[in-house]
Amino acid sequence: MAMMAGTTSVDLEASRVLQLLNMVTADELLDPEEYDEICEDIRDECQKFGSLVDMKVPRPSGGSRQAAGVGKIFVRFETQESASNALRSLAGRKFADRTVVCTYFSEENYEVGAF
Amino acid sequence: PDGPKKRKKKNRWGDQTDNKAAGLMGLPTAIFATMTSEQLEAYALHLRIEEISQKLRINDVVPADGDRSPSPPPQYDNFGRRVNTREYRYRKRLEDERHKLIDKAMKAIPNYHPPSDYRRPTKTQE
Repeated sequence: MAMMAGTTSVDLEASRVLQLLNMVTADELLDPEEYDEICEDIRDECQKFGSLVDMKVPRPSGGSRQAAGVGKIFVRFETQESASNALRSLAGRKFADRTVVCTYFSEENYEVGAF
Repeated sequence: PDGPKKRKKKNRWGDQTDNKAAGLMGLPTAIFATMTSEQLEAYALHLRIEEISQKLRINDVVPADGDRSPSPPPQYDNFGRRVNTREYRYRKRLEDERHKLIDKAMKAIPNYHPPSDYRRPTKTQE
């Protein structure tokens, strides 16, 4: 598994959109107050790396905790440079005592919500 | 005076330097390889299980100050020792999460092997 993530033979294309994993649980997202706080914390931190265009934090809906993208967080920066800096800085940090995993995400998929 | 709204938790971000469990896992967290969403989800699942395992091993189970939930009333055993200490409660919470995640990983990841120090809980009353 570790090898798989460390593979660099087919490098991912850089993007203005980052995908952040292992930060939140479906239960936390169901709580409206906690949801707002989570978005606020992420927005504040990401803005240290440059302007954010927008972000998407998929929530559980319709009784299903397994809806597409629940538990993942997507942020879109104005420039790819900001996104790159954020990726390198945020990966490995702690968010609510969980280790942040970070990667690029395609802007087209981000726009249509194909998580 | 109108102070800032009372938050459930203080800012959730922590430094990379105090992320002991992540340092010990030695798993990549910045991913530059092309992975499908299934592969990435499986990897994140694996990483979380390893992270919990490390936390349990080094006894890094109690969250930072502002992240703690209110304590339940104390419970004592017959010798007057407190049973539900903070360490005990958070350790239990992580163990429970790990059981669930390992179950999920066994179904989702072919040939998945749980961490070597993982013991499947013996079934008690459900």
